[in-house]
Amino acid sequence: MNNLLVIENIHTYIEQFHILEGVSLKVPQGSIVVLLGRNGAGKTTTLKSILGLRPPRQGKVIFEDREIQGMQPHLIAQLGIGYVPEHRAIFRNLTVEENLKIAERQKHDLDKRSDFIFNVFPDLKRLIKLPAGNLSGGQQQMLAIARALVPENSLLLIDEPSEGLAPVLIEEVMDAVRQLSARTTILLVEQNFSMASQLAERYFIIESGRSVKNGLMPDLIDDQETINAYLGAA
Amino acid sequence: MKKLWQNNRSLIIALIIFLGAFAAITQSMEAKVWASILLSGITLASLYFLVASGLSLIFGLMDVLNFAHGSIFVLGAYVGLSTYANPRLLFNTLPFFLSLGAGITLARSFGVPFWRWKRTQNKPQWFFWGLIAVSLVLITFSLRDFPIRAINAFGVTAVGGIVSTAEAQEPMGTMLFRTALLFISGLPFGTALAPREVHQEGSRKSPVRVLLITLILLILGLAILLLRDPGEEFMLGLSVDLRFVLALVLGSLAGALLGAAVEIVLIRPFYGNPVTQLVLTLGLLIALTDVIEGVWGEEGHPPMTPPSLFTEPCRSESLFSWFGEKCRSIDVLGRAFPSYRVFIIFLGILVFSAVGVLLRRSRIGMIIRAGVQDSEMVQVLGINVRRVFTLVFALGSGLAALGGVIAAPFLGVYPAMGGIFQLQAFIAVVIGGMGSYPGAAVGTLILGIARAFGDHFVASGIELPFLETTLRGSPALAKASTVLIMAIVLLVKPAGIFGKKE
Repeated sequence: MNNLLVIENIHTYIEQFHILEGVSLKVPQGSIVVLLGRNGAGKTTTLKSILGLRPPRQGKVIFEDREIQGMQPHLIAQLGIGYVPEHRAIFRNLTVEENLKIAERQKHDLDKRSDFIFNVFPDLKRLIKLPAGNLSGGQQQMLAIARALVPENSLLLIDEPSEGLAPVLIEEVMDAVRQLSARTTILLVEQNFSMASQLAERYFIIESGRSVKNGLMPDLIDDQETINAYLGAA
Repeated sequence: MKKLWQNNRSLIIALIIFLGAFAAITQSMEAKVWASILLSGITLASLYFLVASGLSLIFGLMDVLNFAHGSIFVLGAYVGLSTYANPRLLFNTLPFFLSLGAGITLARSFGVPFWRWKRTQNKPQWFFWGLIAVSLVLITFSLRDFPIRAINAFGVTAVGGIVSTAEAQEPMGTMLFRTALLFISGLPFGTALAPREVHQEGSRKSPVRVLLITLILLILGLAILLLRDPGEEFMLGLSVDLRFVLALVLGSLAGALLGAAVEIVLIRPFYGNPVTQLVLTLGLLIALTDVIEGVWGEEGHPPMTPPSLFTEPCRSESLFSWFGEKCRSIDVLGRAFPSYRVFIIFLGILVFSAVGVLLRRSRIGMIIRAGVQDSEMVQVLGINVRRVFTLVFALGSGLAALGGVIAAPFLGVYPAMGGIFQLQAFIAVVIGGMGSYPGAAVGTLILGIARAFGDHFVASGIELPFLETTLRGSPALAKASTVLIMAIVLLVKPAGIFGKKE
């Protein structure tokens, strides 16, 4: 067993709506796994179920051999799970520095990791005193990722990092994600198939809240039938 | 520069119009007249601000519109008044709260096995409400026939001094019995609040610490009870100024504790369900008003005498000479202005800066500012946002209660005073932008000044250069002026002056 994260058949509701109707996946230690699926398939809800923001009513979420479903979100995060939300949800009213500082779980987390962070995202160092709301879309995405790197996280959940970014910036985000994967395990949600296929080793596809297919990324690239069936035109 | 203009065009235009109107109104007055009206406005704004800042922070962070905020203001005023004028009430009621709190603390930690056992059965929710009901019955029983009104009675003499008229104090034995019973009533309540799920048990405090806290609370309660007679004598022997400071501290503390309790018991179980929370705070408003009327009576008290710092019958030349002379009033351009109002202004500015520094410079302030925008994201960074919620609720309620204490010597104390402040604070928050702290300050400043000039407009009228007769408003207009301002601001900036569109 060297799966860092295992999800077993979770069912998640948002109010009375049954959003996830049986999602299972495994994220091996040290890998990049991508979660694919159409809009509204339940990818973001899956991440939120892991994080405890939308606790599953059935099924198990196992992180480092420990069942974590139903725990409070802040306790789940403290186990070492970082989250990079979609729509670049950084704190716009806080400065770049504060956005990083607030993620500290222990004093001096930021000091300890700042060399690494500013090495991956050199731009941020220059912008450190600016309100984060003044950054460009790409810079905000970098900041959102950097924020997840401040504390010691063994797993990163990254939700659609390429969304709404220009191709040049997508390249940059991909580079960054690649550099991170040397240190942590990553579960990525991505609509941009070319980005996903270049980064990930394994894939899981969900469709209407159910896990439908998974396997190694190289196999999927040649499997036009699956791509057409579940991901639309890619 | 150009960007500044584009982003704030409406704001700048409004400011120019406002200043223009202000100049037009004031140029017909003598400087000393409008200066003192302005100062009165700022005094009022200072009080509004203490209520509005908490309202705004609570709404911004938790999306809870707290209708009971004004009644916490009233509670602060009454607790302050009691501390100041009749400390007997404190000595006879504090032990109750402490022992009840001790019981709840103890059972909250040691009640966990109960739920471990109950979890296997159906309908745990019924047991929750059952325990609460048992506790409430016990509390009612332990407080039966408690002569609260008699203990609380005090009168104001013709010269404004306060004499304690209370004689009826219960014998020590009865009091001890009540205190013990309240400790027992706290047990089922605490059990109900104990963590119910396995995974929540991890965050429990160590049993030794819980026992220690319980013991401290009990001993403190007992000590206060046993020392009630010498304690009361001691407090009444203190100088008026010291008692006033004590009133400020205890009044705001009472508000803060009540705020924390309200958040934990009423608000916390219903996050994500704003309508329930709204209705609950409305219910709390009614309940609190009734409790206040029950304890302190419906008739209210005239303004209590300010501490002797502000009562020497003379007029200081300037603020600086006041420090030596402690005069009742201070000279403002040849007109007397009560020095106690200067104190209110000063306290308002002090609180504004202190909370501002807290929000800007501390980690907790950073978390609050981040949480106003996205509390879910703060949570998944590993921060216990619920604890921050409780803290902000306590802070906001404490500030409102502080406002109540300092309003007491200025406006008097009566049960319905909260409603006015609640409404004005709400309007101020809407004007300033919901959830914006500087917005609350600017909003209250506008309202306070508008109100002061509105009142002057009604009382004396204003002479405009192009009119022969003096223009005079109707009293209704002065009251409506704040709402009119709100309507105008909302037309120009729908999210309020500092509000951000999401």
